Formats: sequence, C-alpha cells, structure tokens
Amino acid sequence: MLNETSRYKEILVKGIWSENPVAYQVLGICSALAVTVKLSTAIVMSLALTLVTAFSSMIISSMRKKIPSNIRIIAELAIIASLVIVTDEILKAFFYDISKQLSIFVGLIITNCIVLGRAEAFALANNPVDSFIDGIANGLGYSLVLIAVAFLRELLGTGQCLGFMVIPDFIYDSGYQNMGLMVLAPGAFFIIGLLVWLKNSLAGISHEKR
Amino acid sequence: MSDQVFDKNSKKNVIQFAFLLSIICSLLITGAASGLKELQQENIKLDKKINILKAANLITGKQKPPKDVIVNLYKDHIQEVIVDNSGKTIDKETPESMHLYFYQTHNMINGYILPINSKGLWGKIRGYLAFENDGQTVSGFSVFSHSETPGLGGEIENAWFRKNFKGKKILNSQNNFVSVGIAKGKVKNLPTNLQDHYVDGISGATLTGQYLSEGIKTTLAKYEPVSISFRQKNLKAMDIHQNKE
Repeated sequence: MLNETSRYKEILVKGIWSENPVAYQVLGICSALAVTVKLSTAIVMSLALTLVTAFSSMIISSMRKKIPSNIRIIAELAIIASLVIVTDEILKAFFYDISKQLSIFVGLIITNCIVLGRAEAFALANNPVDSFIDGIANGLGYSLVLIAVAFLRELLGTGQCLGFMVIPDFIYDSGYQNMGLMVLAPGAFFIIGLLVWLKNSLAGISHEKR
Repeated sequence: MSDQVFDKNSKKNVIQFAFLLSIICSLLITGAASGLKELQQENIKLDKKINILKAANLITGKQKPPKDVIVNLYKDHIQEVIVDNSGKTIDKETPESMHLYFYQTHNMINGYILPINSKGLWGKIRGYLAFENDGQTVSGFSVFSHSETPGLGGEIENAWFRKNFKGKKILNSQNNFVSVGIAKGKVKNLPTNLQDHYVDGISGATLTGQYLSEGIKTTLAKYEPVSISFRQKNLKAMDIHQNKE
C-alpha cells in the first residue's frame, strides 16, 4: 500500500511540476495562447481538460492490450472525440449556460496535444488507475501554467482579476497604462516563454546535454 | 494462460477492433445526440427568449431569472410578427417576408426587435437589435449565438459591449440611413459627427467588429421599410392587432 501511494505521488509530482506538460513537454501551447486572455475562461478550460485527459487516459489504458498498434492513434482519437462530444451534448442538455460559456473550448479539447500525448506516452504502457492519476496530474500541470498566464495577462492587459478592477485608480492617474500587447496573442508568447524559462531554471532542468 | 498468444496486430484483429470501436463510438454519440435533443431544443428556445428580452432591456443584470418568469415576460411583452418587404404586417409567410418582434406594454408598441444574422470571423453571429418606437434609436443589443474567439471576439456577448449600443442612432443629422457600426478603438477618438453611429471596438477583435458592422448594416437596410413606418408613426398603436384578428 505504501508503495502504491508513493508511486501515485510520484506520478502527480511529475505531471504537475517536474514534467509539466506545457513547460517541459511543450504540449498544449495553442490553447494556452487562445484562452488565457481572461482568468475565468482559463479556469473553465483547465477544469474541462483535466477531466477529459483523466477519463480518456483511463479508458485507453483499459483497452491497451486490445488496441492494434498500427491504428492506435486513430483509435485513441476516436475515443477522445466521442468522449468530448458526449460530454458536450450532456452539457447542452443539462447545463446550458456552462456549455455556452465553453463554446469552442470543447472542440479545442479534442485537438489539445496533451490528451493524445498522455494517451500515447503513458496510458498505452500503464494500468488504468495509474493512467487516470497521470491524466489528472497533467491536467493540473496544464491548469497551473494556464491560470498563471491568464492571471498575468488579465492583470497587465486590463488591470482586472476575474473581471474585477484590482489596479487602483491613483496608479492610472500617475501615468500607468494597461499593456495592450498582453491582450493579443504575442503577449501570451512572451509570458509562456518567460514562465518556461523560470520554471526550468528553478527545477534545474535543461533539454540541452551538459 | 492459453497456448495461443493473442496477437493484437493480426489483420483480423485490426479490422475487428476498428469495426467494433466505430460502432460503439457512433452508437454513443447518436444516442447522446438524439436522446438529449428535446432538452437541448428547449434550452435553445428559452435562450432565444432570454436574448430577445435582453435586447428589449426587460432582463438586466447578471442574474438569470427563473424559467416561468422569462416565459411570462415574453408572453406579456413580446409579439412575433411577419412583415412583407414594404414593412406591412401580414398573416402568412411569403418568400420575401421577414420576421421581427414587437415590444409592447398595454397595447402600445414601445419598440421593435430585429433578428441580426451576421457573418463572424469563425462562424455566424446571431443576435437581436432593439429599437425605440421612433424608428431610429437603438435601445439594446444581445447576442444569441456566435463562435468567435473567447476573450477577444467573444466579448460581443458581454454586457459592457452590448450596453454601448443603447442610444445610438441609425440616422444621421440629415435623416439619412447610416446604420450603427463597431469602431476600431474607442468611440471618443472619432470625429463628433460619427460618435452617435459607432460603439467601442474590442481590442484584438478588429475583424469580428468589421463583420458584425457589415451584418448589422445589411440587416438594417433590409428592415428599413419597417423602421420608416415607425418614423412616420403609423405603426405605433394597434394596427397589428387589427391585422392579426
């Protein structure tokens, strides 16, 4: 039992921090650029992606001994896509407001490289429970970066946090201005780049050989 | 353990697996789609009503009222009408007829609401634009469905953008039709004679603004006969009811 918990912990730490999907594996960058203008959208996307990654990894892992290797990517995509579409239909029927808010995020989840990446890299070689935890861990790792980027972009770009003004008026009066660049996609490039740099130098990770 | 090792890469298994997987996935999707269709349609209908009421400023604030309140508000104040291309109300649909909604209280028409059907950057933008009964002042705007980028073009559905439309005019000082458009940047930076016909743009969503401006202009031009009869004040009172009954 002790062995198991420590293994789960290791998977979690790997996914969230040391092998963070955005910062280390450099997956899911496109959605990290698109949905991080505001904190609220980033949080919704994070939640949705974490759940989808976890469940798709679990399902794919439970079928891993049956999936023929030459059609495995198609099979994985079919499973992920069906899962996302069914979730979308359920949201539309029972949580219409949330589904409207999610709008194209749902589609973005299917194309998010993290989901397929974890299916390929982890779920095909590990048991369902481990894969589920790995999915959660990577989802949380992605969420961590997404929320950090969205927080900075919303704060610097509009002076708001979750839609509330947080930068007081006297700072604006003394000449401070919102950074228009942060609202646009290049702002996300800079922030993600800087975050990846910060994170990897903190963790002492380098992709280059020493 | 059986002697014969299961070969997942054998041709037979590949075909079998692909076949089974596609059947299961398609059953799952069609099952979910058709089983939940009624509930979804109901949600869409309700949402349409909410947005018409929002355009008419009957629902304000972020709180969504309960369903029966919405249905009653809609029943009491909104009337869907069909007009022909000269702006007269008619009973039956014809190929050239157009739909719009009257906003009324106690048999007085306070305004009218036009459905906007516009191109967007990624897909269609559908919404409602409400006018006062002078036939030229915008009283509200709402977006019913769109597929613009969240956080950029997607801002069109948010209250701060929608409330900009209130009080804008579609006629200029010479009483010529000019429509309302979305400015590039802030309205206060425009020349004063244009400020009445533009709303604040969304930074990072110039194209969405352009498409929506175009879409609004085309719709308004099409419904211009209706607006004209409102300007001439001959649609204000009860003549729709007489037509209907």
